Amino acid sequence: MPGIDECLSRAMAIAGARAAGLIDWSSGLALGSVGASPTGDHDTTAAEATDLVRAAVDAATFTAAEDRAVPLQDIILTADSSYHLLCFIDTVFDSRLVLHLWLDRAEGNLAVARFRLQSIAEELVLG
Amino acid sequence: MTNADANTDANPAPGGHGAEAARTAVGFRPPGGAAAAPLPVAAGPGWTPGAAVERLAGERATGALRGPAGTVYLVDGLVAHAESDRAPDLATLLTACGRLTRETWQEAVHRFGPHARVGEALVEQGRLTRGELELCHLGALYDAACFLFEAFDGTGNALATQPGWTFAPGARHWLGPVVAVGAHRLRREAERRQHLLDRIWPSAQLDTAPLCRSAGPPAAAGHGPGRHARRLRPPTRRQCDLLDHADGRRTPAELARLLGRSAFATTADVRRLAAAGLLAGSGDGSGAVPGTGSDPRCASGPPGTGRVPAPRAPGGLHRRVPGAALAALTGGRRGSDPTAVPTTATDPDIALLIRVRTLLEARL
Repeated sequence: MPGIDECLSRAMAIAGARAAGLIDWSSGLALGSVGASPTGDHDTTAAEATDLVRAAVDAATFTAAEDRAVPLQDIILTADSSYHLLCFIDTVFDSRLVLHLWLDRAEGNLAVARFRLQSIAEELVLG
Repeated sequence: MTNADANTDANPAPGGHGAEAARTAVGFRPPGGAAAAPLPVAAGPGWTPGAAVERLAGERATGALRGPAGTVYLVDGLVAHAESDRAPDLATLLTACGRLTRETWQEAVHRFGPHARVGEALVEQGRLTRGELELCHLGALYDAACFLFEAFDGTGNALATQPGWTFAPGARHWLGPVVAVGAHRLRREAERRQHLLDRIWPSAQLDTAPLCRSAGPPAAAGHGPGRHARRLRPPTRRQCDLLDHADGRRTPAELARLLGRSAFATTADVRRLAAAGLLAGSGDGSGAVPGTGSDPRCASGPPGTGRVPAPRAPGGLHRRVPGAALAALTGGRRGSDPTAVPTTATDPDIALLIRVRTLLEARL
């Protein structure tokens, strides 16, 4: 049964992974981070990823047509040489968490990485 | 009911015991274990709980630092647990949403609490997954620290010398080891969260006040184009929950407990709703004490004084709103009678001006 550290290790094992982090987007706190950081500071990464998540979550355009309390599953940002995947974690108790994966475009496969990251996020909660 | 009252040998500090009593209305407390007598903590000028925890961490201390409103537990210099009157604890977070029944929790606490391995036992029994335990525990720990450290930081110098902080060497929390956090990181995060709250709405006045819905924004406020429209959008689903439960008696801490949400997220939503003119203090402060000095930042002007200047209301505004609602809403009520200050802006012009100013400040 994986804990936070184990889940981050599994995320880093995804082909092409540059970094993985668990972010509390209610506050912008990095609950855990492994690998490189695009800015050199994981706390900055967490805070800036939180801004992106909040912008999406707070926009009715992206959420109004959905029924669930946690309407978004993930956010995918495509950059020139890398992807950023932000996968929402669904817990029974109240939380606002995302799993962030920084993925190399040349080495990684977006579809595989997205699928894998979602199962890691589920394993973290469901065991 | 709780066994805590019958087994107080581990919790003899009056302040700490009071905090626990407030937190354990549903009897989550296990029998206390043996611990050394608590030592009073010297609180000199400039002393803050955050600094005290960092100093103890530097000594690789193990024990419980108890204050009037909560406790921080250290194990080998790392913060293993924190609890505050103002933040829901792990039990509340897990039972309010129905993840665990109270009976399940109580049974685990009574069976495994004396051995300080409640968390581990819940995972072993399959009641919780390890991930859930770690996530919920960390959430509760940071949430409690945010309010434990806040009450005495920044402008709270007057309260820093308040008696009642003790350190009980060797005392451990009954939950047992889950995930520990470095003291410096915890303190920095607590301060960062306070800054975030101040950016949303630079007044702590509603943080401890009973809340009720207010009239809402004037009709014109919702039609601003571009950026302005973003700030004035309708409340989210979570914010609507808060509005629905704000009955004029519940404080943000009580709302957080009721809804099983983090106190920080609840406070942030409360401040957003206050900035939007949708939520206000229920007025006479008969419940918790809105701005009667319990929060240092209400007593001594707006928080982050260098960054958020105290508002200077033009004379015209004063004439139109004799209660000086502008000053009340921004916490700048130096030395005034707390009960004399209205906590709502009834004049739509004032409410609009306040929102515009908040918006401008947030964009700086």
